[in-house]
Amino acid sequence: MRTDFVRIYKSIHTWTGIITGMALFIAFYAGALTVFKEPLARWVSPPSELHQVSLDEAQQLIVRTLAEHPASAADFTIHLREAEHLPARMSWQIRDADGDDHDESAVRHYLATLDDSGASQMREHQPSDLSSFIDVLHRVVGLPVDSDPNRWVMGVVAALYTLALISGVVVLVPSLVKDFFALRVGKNLKRMWLDAHNVVGIVSLPFHIVMALTSVVFAYHDGIYYLQDQFIHDGKWAGAFQRQRPVAGAMPEHDPATMLAPAQLLASAQAFAPGFAPAMLQYQQVTGARPIVRVWGKDEAAVSPRARGGFLALDPYSGKVINSDFLPGRQDAPNLFISSFFALHMAAFGGTPVQWMYFLLGIAGAWLFYSGNLLWVETRRRKQAKDDVQPPVQRLDTRLMASATIGVCLGCVCGISLAIAGSKWLHVLFGEGIDGTRLLYYGTFFACIAWAFMAGAARAGVHLLWLACALTLAIPLTSLVGALLPGLGLWANTSVASLGVDLTALLGALALAAMARATSRRVEQGRADSVWSAAGVSAR
Amino acid sequence: MADKLPPIRRDWVSKSLAGFLLGAVLAFGASGLFNALNVGMPLSVRGQLAMWIVPPVWLGVLGGVYFLASGTRAWMWLGIASAIVLGLLFALRQA
Repeated sequence: MRTDFVRIYKSIHTWTGIITGMALFIAFYAGALTVFKEPLARWVSPPSELHQVSLDEAQQLIVRTLAEHPASAADFTIHLREAEHLPARMSWQIRDADGDDHDESAVRHYLATLDDSGASQMREHQPSDLSSFIDVLHRVVGLPVDSDPNRWVMGVVAALYTLALISGVVVLVPSLVKDFFALRVGKNLKRMWLDAHNVVGIVSLPFHIVMALTSVVFAYHDGIYYLQDQFIHDGKWAGAFQRQRPVAGAMPEHDPATMLAPAQLLASAQAFAPGFAPAMLQYQQVTGARPIVRVWGKDEAAVSPRARGGFLALDPYSGKVINSDFLPGRQDAPNLFISSFFALHMAAFGGTPVQWMYFLLGIAGAWLFYSGNLLWVETRRRKQAKDDVQPPVQRLDTRLMASATIGVCLGCVCGISLAIAGSKWLHVLFGEGIDGTRLLYYGTFFACIAWAFMAGAARAGVHLLWLACALTLAIPLTSLVGALLPGLGLWANTSVASLGVDLTALLGALALAAMARATSRRVEQGRADSVWSAAGVSAR
Repeated sequence: MADKLPPIRRDWVSKSLAGFLLGAVLAFGASGLFNALNVGMPLSVRGQLAMWIVPPVWLGVLGGVYFLASGTRAWMWLGIASAIVLGLLFALRQA
């Protein structure tokens, strides 16, 4: 490859990388945790005080609840599993008409169960915001709300990230043959970081290409569809998804008492798709002219079209299959192709091992952007000449970039850990009405950034790593306190998913402690002509 | 050998604009060609696939445009490619 190209693409890589690096760190760190969104929701959910209705009684629950609360008939769910974050057998949501489609805060949640006399008992429920907040952080690169403008910002970041990937590969290709997997550990630390950056980047390149392109689509699909409707589909696009209109007056209203019971519906689904493991039944418009029940679930041997799996649509009165276009393993080739884009972004295939792989790739991605910023700083380092008495003052832009990188990246880690651990404590102190997740996260995030600029990157790096370690350790400690001192009102869930959160946090805290010790050694004992030296900073 | 070739001009503004604007034309043009060549597929599926074609083509063009020798060349080559794609699309729609 001509050196001209390498030089041009190096400029592109530098600029796109430095603009988007910190936003991408947040997206990937929060995104890695979002792979385990459900375990996080289970970890944080308090024990349910509601009487659990058995699946055999579910039909009775449905009929009585629909009679008393007709608003639930539009769309309600019967949960087939018992898990901490599902406090009752039946639930439904009512969405604020003004809210954004993706904005979870505009949704009101309701639960229904049967009391001792067999009557329907309904109550409004405020599930913890924690897991969806971490998801939102990842979807809009650290902004607080998943709204259209915020997604457009994310889309610009994702587009620049795509250019950074292309240019990074162009820069690397000429040396790839001789340097691939060369990790030159030694005196030249910058060389070692660069080798590590290259190896992680090239090995996880397919993962990053998928993430970059799907994210651009998630940001701009509405705009692209709109333009294509004008120029390509001649205005017919909106009609493509409409189901056939019912003939007016020809279809009777339905009586939910005559619906098949959940067990019978599950038997129909099982007969149609034996490998499919149903998790919930989503009923829509059951009293209307076109009733439908979506049997949601997963099939680990197949690609799931959505993060929570796929579904088989049945008629709840006859059990007949209405639609299997979204059933994992039963999609036709074009639909499977489309689903695979979603599944590849959301790790919705292959079960738990793939989820762990995505978690590790996500964390490695976050490290990739962090190391990119570090290399930017190191490239602009002023070295001490042999006859200099004092180490040179480092450039202002590198000092500021080092502080910003430390503050934003570690601020995100600290903020998320405190938001997780603190959610339980806030619930104990203020009950379920108050949701302090955002306050805990952004308070910590901005405080860390402020400290990184005040103390300088070198010292703040050590402080914030220890803080991140302590706050992450607070996650399993909160569970431990809940188990040992139940009188405090805290709790510890003991499902595998929930204990997995505790164990992962414990390992994360150990990793952060190791990083804090290594950073501390470098800051105290490393060469003074660097932004990463305490001596170098105090020499100013 | 590399020394004998004319240097690659940077032309950041004109290359980036060519990649961004003509990249959009090529991307939507390519999605239109896909749409026109797969009329047998239901619109709901065909339309989704056509949408997914746009970002990779657009960003691929924008990412590759800096390989071209100059801003003028970039506009010329991408302009020719756009004309071919739009011409094919027009021909297919007439047919």
